[in-house]
Amino acid sequence: MSHETQDLDQEIMQTLLTHLARFPTKSDELNAQTDLAADMNIDSVNMMELLMEIEDTFDVSFPLNMMANVNTVQDLANQIKQLVENRP
Amino acid sequence: MSISDRFAELAHIRDSLGAVEADPSRIVMEKILSPTEALIAGKRTILVGTNNYLGLTFEPELLDAACAAMHEQGSGTTGSRMANGSFAGHAALERDFAEFYDVPSAMIFSTGYQTNLGLLMAILRPGDKVVLDSHSHACIYDGCRISGADFLAFRHNDPEDLRKRLRRLGGDAEGALVIAEGLYSMLGDIAPLADLCAVAKEYGAWFMVDEAHSFGVYGERGLGLCEEAGILDQVDFITGTFSKSLASLGGFCVSRHPEMQLLRYGSRPYIFTASSSPANIAAADAALRAIRTRPEIKDKLWANANRLYDGLKGLGYELASTVSPVIAVRVPSKEEGARLWNALLDEGVYVNLVLPPAAPDSAALLRCSLSAAHSFEQIDAILSAFKAASAGSDRAVGASAH
Repeated sequence: MSHETQDLDQEIMQTLLTHLARFPTKSDELNAQTDLAADMNIDSVNMMELLMEIEDTFDVSFPLNMMANVNTVQDLANQIKQLVENRP
Repeated sequence: MSISDRFAELAHIRDSLGAVEADPSRIVMEKILSPTEALIAGKRTILVGTNNYLGLTFEPELLDAACAAMHEQGSGTTGSRMANGSFAGHAALERDFAEFYDVPSAMIFSTGYQTNLGLLMAILRPGDKVVLDSHSHACIYDGCRISGADFLAFRHNDPEDLRKRLRRLGGDAEGALVIAEGLYSMLGDIAPLADLCAVAKEYGAWFMVDEAHSFGVYGERGLGLCEEAGILDQVDFITGTFSKSLASLGGFCVSRHPEMQLLRYGSRPYIFTASSSPANIAAADAALRAIRTRPEIKDKLWANANRLYDGLKGLGYELASTVSPVIAVRVPSKEEGARLWNALLDEGVYVNLVLPPAAPDSAALLRCSLSAAHSFEQIDAILSAFKAASAGSDRAVGASAH
């Protein structure tokens, strides 16, 4: 894995954790393996707001239907990375 | 997740409403006395949460037309139009909508929900791009989701945010579908449709507007906010419902594109649903005639909206938007919302209690929807009830004035 890719991974994860920190979690710790549905209390409106913030931060389009493949924070990070790398 | 787990989730939702004594499902209208009054728990109650904007549900012309249609054509159609064929009333109502909007295409559906589902499922395919207002109704989200299209939200009522998101789509913006509503049902705010339409057209996108809450209420002829914004010749699809201003049950879609009629061959919510009953069709058609010929009904609605809006402002309530037939009172907490909602019921006034996530940007909303059938005396009684309800509040009336 190149440094550039590692940097991007870290940047995405760090940004996500910062955005997610405002939502309560059932466990004490918020990390890459936190399950967005089972471990966090984010309603549909807040999830949409979160995605709009992510789109603006990374200048990508994140379709809401992509959330069907997202369970954990890491899954979300992976989807964002894919969008960033394929940015037109 | 198992079905048992899902039942447990739903029970949790019910219990959380019960905990704040705010379960709307416990409200039963034991007797409907008029468009604006019912007996609830044996008490005569003013209804100010029914979306019965023009108050036509007891209008003699509608009742007579519905009864006559039922006697002439029966109580139900017992099947879909594709299987059983259309009744003459279905086709006539579609012609009336097309004529009213002066467009080549109009289709009716069995409910408002199915109208948006039916349009979106038929015109979108996986890979298509949709950019919709973030406050869109569930049926718009559901239609997009089921279609498999890529859909993303723009910030509510923000044309520049829409522009940003269309720009990000690059070449895919051309041919994308942009969706907005006219009057938003929860906050009672209206969309800047002319600006949104201009942005959509600038990028070569299609533009769809749901006028569920604005048809019959806005526009010189009552066609809705697209008429008021002067974009009837540019918007590609307009949808609406019969279950608000039209005082019936069903929905419509009109379009300046003659090809929209082709949806009949590919819209599953149209093909696989029983068509609207003769009584529903006849009532909607009679209501449409009332909108076309009696503009004074709309004027009365607006007089009522202004009176309630000014009165609530005067009492110090924080209102979510400028005046419209939907007036939403912001409440600082879910518990206070539930307390006020119950206190209003005790005072003989029924409003909608709206809790997150249905209450955007608010802890809770007490949502009032006005009717042309409300009298000024009823509006004043509603205001007295709000005053009495807030007397038991921690905050004095007027303390939250902004």
